[in-house]
Amino acid sequence: MATILVAPAPSRSVRDRRWGTLRRAARARLAPFGAAVMLLAVAAAVLAPVVAPYDPLKQNLDNTLARPDRTHLMGTDNVGRDVLSRVIWGTRVSLVAGFGSVVIAVLVGGVLGLVAGYAGGGVDNLVMRLMDAVLSFPPLVLALALGAVLGAGLTGVVIALGVVYTPTFARLMRGQVLAITAREYVDAARALGVPGWRIAWTHVLPNATAPIVVQASLSVAFAILAEASLSFLGLGIQPPGASWGSMINAGRGYLQQAPWIVFGPGAALFVTVVGLNFVGDAIRDALDPRLRV
Amino acid sequence: MGLLILRRLVATIPVLLLVTAGVFALIHLTPGDPIDAMMAESVDDSVKRELRRDLGLDRPLYLQYATWMGRLLQGDLGRSIRNREPVIENVGHRIKPSLQLAGLAMAISLLVATPIGILSAARRNSAVDRVGTTFALFGICMPNFLIALLLIFVFGVTLRWLPISGYVDPLEEPWDGLRSLALPAITLGLALAAVITRTLRSSMLEALSEDYIRTARAKGLSDGAVIRRHALKNALIPVVTVLGLQLGTLIGGAVITEYVFALPGVGRLVVDAVFARDYPLVQGVVLLIAVGFIVSNLAVDLLYGWIDPRIRHR
Repeated sequence: MATILVAPAPSRSVRDRRWGTLRRAARARLAPFGAAVMLLAVAAAVLAPVVAPYDPLKQNLDNTLARPDRTHLMGTDNVGRDVLSRVIWGTRVSLVAGFGSVVIAVLVGGVLGLVAGYAGGGVDNLVMRLMDAVLSFPPLVLALALGAVLGAGLTGVVIALGVVYTPTFARLMRGQVLAITAREYVDAARALGVPGWRIAWTHVLPNATAPIVVQASLSVAFAILAEASLSFLGLGIQPPGASWGSMINAGRGYLQQAPWIVFGPGAALFVTVVGLNFVGDAIRDALDPRLRV
Repeated sequence: MGLLILRRLVATIPVLLLVTAGVFALIHLTPGDPIDAMMAESVDDSVKRELRRDLGLDRPLYLQYATWMGRLLQGDLGRSIRNREPVIENVGHRIKPSLQLAGLAMAISLLVATPIGILSAARRNSAVDRVGTTFALFGICMPNFLIALLLIFVFGVTLRWLPISGYVDPLEEPWDGLRSLALPAITLGLALAAVITRTLRSSMLEALSEDYIRTARAKGLSDGAVIRRHALKNALIPVVTVLGLQLGTLIGGAVITEYVFALPGVGRLVVDAVFARDYPLVQGVVLLIAVGFIVSNLAVDLLYGWIDPRIRHR
């Protein structure tokens, strides 16, 4: 920092160190919580047919809008379906959408970034302007428009969100490639006559993965939020199928008589996103110590 | 500064071209025939043929694009197939509530985030700080529609203080208008406030650890004056950047918020057009939103250069 002052400031560095330690301690406490939430969500999604107490689609018109009690832990909805069972099945949709769209974005964006950074020149220019164009749309508006033309259903939403997140990974990968190809070991490989694709595969790619993994882990949480928003608006899984967003939308007409229809899936969504955020933070801290605050 | 503006404007041209191409291609991404998707099966074949000719879908692709671009450059964004009105007019009817909502939300977010962010940083690790950081985490992880429904549940349904849907123009009836916009603006404002709080807190922490702050303290300035005059000014620079980055999220949030509260804004128009499968209207509105987004990003970029002279000279 500045060297104008004669005396350095010992208090500041001590304070910062203490602060950093505190932060890490807090993180260390939060990371297991995040991991637990994620495990629980994955278990619920995989084991949905086994752990859901009721059939998520089975209506019971004699028991509609029932308060949460011992038989229905989250109550029932307007046609008497068990809310908890629908929340459990909805976990599948959320996780498939969250992970699916990020996997698409990582693969497509990663390859585009690799090609752009490695080829340079006109190809680089074209690819990156294309990514800029995608970024010129507000994410939700783009996903909505794409989801609309791709047709309702989970596949359309996953592809739409995949497209939305692709530029992030393309930019990240390109930056990594540019930084790594400037290194001496890449020069050395080139001098030895190693072909370009092999340098990309064995030298560049492995060294570029850490930031991609960090970004991917943080993106999953946001993709889950985005899927919930789209299915809240009516895209994605169609009724009577259960997804958190569509359940919340269907329940908002009963907010007064049966708030649990909205707040059951709402709580599941919130806890999952918070948990995934903690996991993402922990992965970032583990993989990239430079970013540690 | 003039050169900077010019350079940024020129750099926008290829992106704009690609954006128009993307919006144009949108209608062709539909699996199957777009006309069949837009109209019910029962609609007469001659009507479908007419629409197909109207939209130019019976001609080769490059001709379609050329015609579409030609009209675009003359300011013709096409017509809605539902109400036959030009896209521009459709948007014109809807822009006022959206701008009012965005303005109010922005004001609320700054009113909430500025004191929390400053206090969190000035008294870091205190109870205030913990409340502040928890608030930020909640706001970031909570989807817009959930905040909206919580507010409706508390202030609309339970306490019955505020209306939960509908729109009254505050320019005509100030009191009822503000009441009708209160819950939507708080919904959108809180989500934004969370992000601003987080950024302001960390940039304040950084600013407070600078040497010039120690100098200011050493010459005997009070805590308040140090924060106001020295730290805050510098801490606001990253906040402007984040505000720019959040524009997209803000627009998306407005779409959801207008939908939940039945506000007749541009966001609601997009959702309605999507579900009515009114593709020309979707294309037109999405293009307008994208252009608006690009222009405001450009404005934020330039604003940034104006606030922070270090950027201008780089």
